[in-house]
Amino acid sequence: MVAIKIERLTKKFGDFTALSNVSLDVQPEEFVTLLGPSGCGKTTLLKLISGFLEPSEGSIKIGGTDVTHVPPEKRDTALCFQSYALFPHLTVRENLEFGPRQKKIPASERKTRIDDVSEKLDLTAQMEKLPNQLSGGQQQRVSLGRALAMRPSVILFDEPLSNLDAKLRDQVRIEIRRIQKEYGLTAIYVTHDQAEALAMSDRIVVLNNGRVEQVDSPELLYHAPKTKFVADFIGDANIFSGTIVGQKGENIVQVETAIGTIEFETPTAPTSKKVNLCWRPESAVIGNTGIKAKVVHRAFQGHFTDLMVETNGTIFRVQAKRVEAQEGDDVQLSVAPNEVILLDQSA
Amino acid sequence: MTVQRVNKILLIALLAVCAIWLIIPFTMAVLWSLVDPSEPWTADKVLPPVMSLFRWTDMWENSSLKSALIASYTLAPSAAILSLLLALPTSFALGRISFLGRELAKMLCLLPLVVPPFITAIFFTSLLFQIGLSSWRPGAILFAHSVLFMPFAIRILTVSFEQVRQDHIDAARDLGASHWARFKVAYLPALKPGIFATLLIVFIQSIEEFAIAFIVGSPDVVTIPTLLYSALGQDYVRPNAAVLSLILVVPNVLLMLILERLLRSANPTLSSGKG
Repeated sequence: MVAIKIERLTKKFGDFTALSNVSLDVQPEEFVTLLGPSGCGKTTLLKLISGFLEPSEGSIKIGGTDVTHVPPEKRDTALCFQSYALFPHLTVRENLEFGPRQKKIPASERKTRIDDVSEKLDLTAQMEKLPNQLSGGQQQRVSLGRALAMRPSVILFDEPLSNLDAKLRDQVRIEIRRIQKEYGLTAIYVTHDQAEALAMSDRIVVLNNGRVEQVDSPELLYHAPKTKFVADFIGDANIFSGTIVGQKGENIVQVETAIGTIEFETPTAPTSKKVNLCWRPESAVIGNTGIKAKVVHRAFQGHFTDLMVETNGTIFRVQAKRVEAQEGDDVQLSVAPNEVILLDQSA
Repeated sequence: MTVQRVNKILLIALLAVCAIWLIIPFTMAVLWSLVDPSEPWTADKVLPPVMSLFRWTDMWENSSLKSALIASYTLAPSAAILSLLLALPTSFALGRISFLGRELAKMLCLLPLVVPPFITAIFFTSLLFQIGLSSWRPGAILFAHSVLFMPFAIRILTVSFEQVRQDHIDAARDLGASHWARFKVAYLPALKPGIFATLLIVFIQSIEEFAIAFIVGSPDVVTIPTLLYSALGQDYVRPNAAVLSLILVVPNVLLMLILERLLRSANPTLSSGKG
């Protein structure tokens, strides 16, 4: 059974289409991230799932029940707010208890839940404090705990880490994932941070202009992006359009691009002559063969060196370990055919 | 001159000012209220020659002070509560719903305050008479006060409603809260200071209001301001006026203490950015 089934979901605000024809199945206990730049529709989708917005078209089923027109207070979802949205006049305990109280959970069961949550989130010492007496990380945990105390079947996160500093963010990221697994929750996580998405998710939904660009595991999204947008948004990518000029052997197609001939491996040759290709900066090998380029910018990054190189007026990025070339030097580089990705023609 | 010395001089100056502005008038009022009618207090004597509580008992028993106190202290809290209730829906709309011309509507709500109170009073009274609301005078004054002081209430409560955080409302909803529970957990804490301030301000305005109370109420309904004006204006007797003012000081002091408490407790939770 699917935990969340989203079918042909469209949301319009007047003339503006915030979300257009989105379908998605989320499996039980899966951690799915909605990723995209601001205005891509990820928050709209989250609000549709939590019930704060009603779709213009399409339907949402949670655990097999149609909840498309069910208000948020009656949905089996719990949302962790970006601002935490803790009630400032209530203590941590009262905040955690608020949800179960509304659901008329008996006091003994409430206590079990609160004790369990506060222990798992290391909040036992803070229970009688007010939210403004806590640090940002602790507030974040209370907000997570408040959602967990609801024992929801789906937990939703709206950029929960954006108010934390970088170091804490890594820590909380791991903690969220641990808790999600421990409680066996289905999670939908909204972020614009691709590193966060890659590190946490089982699957990532990349959204752009209200449409789904690609839904895949983090590895596939990185190694096999389908569109220019995904290739560019997730990690760094060198994207070139070119024309097929020939074939080498069984599966290797040669393409003429602005920087020269690039070969890529494909089981089935593309139908069109015009193609879009991309490869990751770390796929390039600097050596004695291949494309000639001039280094225009060099930045040592520790575990690799980041180079901006230029060929025929086109600048692209190369990352490699132990680079001796300095700015202004000429280098030669090649990309293995199986590292080059063929992108969708339309996008 | 050392700093300590400057401080000492300033302190003495402050005490002197306090004495001149607070202690002397207060003592004088107390002394004047104790003057016995048998012998007048003339300028050549430091203390009144004969002192008694005659003025106090006389004022209490033979003037309309009692009924004025009852009228004012029933009218003012009622007007405060009524004004608050009447202002809540408007303030909610102005503070939480975005619509075309909202800023203009906010300004229009404040407009009655720029007209001099006596002018509003006269026209408002004639309006009351025209719609036949003058038959029950206390009711007419109550209605007039609630409506006239509503701009204060609307203004204060609009700001309070604006301070209610949408994410708190949403969080409460997401956690399964009913309408009433949402109001209690998300709205009320943010509204509380505004509600207190509204009650207090309308209360004070109503206690002090003379024009409407006089035009609509007299001669049947006497409030403290109308009584004061008549005691001080028509038949000016200094000892009687002293008694009246001393009685009026008590609720003022109480109100001041309430206000002080209110300001201290005002919104400690919302002032923090997060949470």
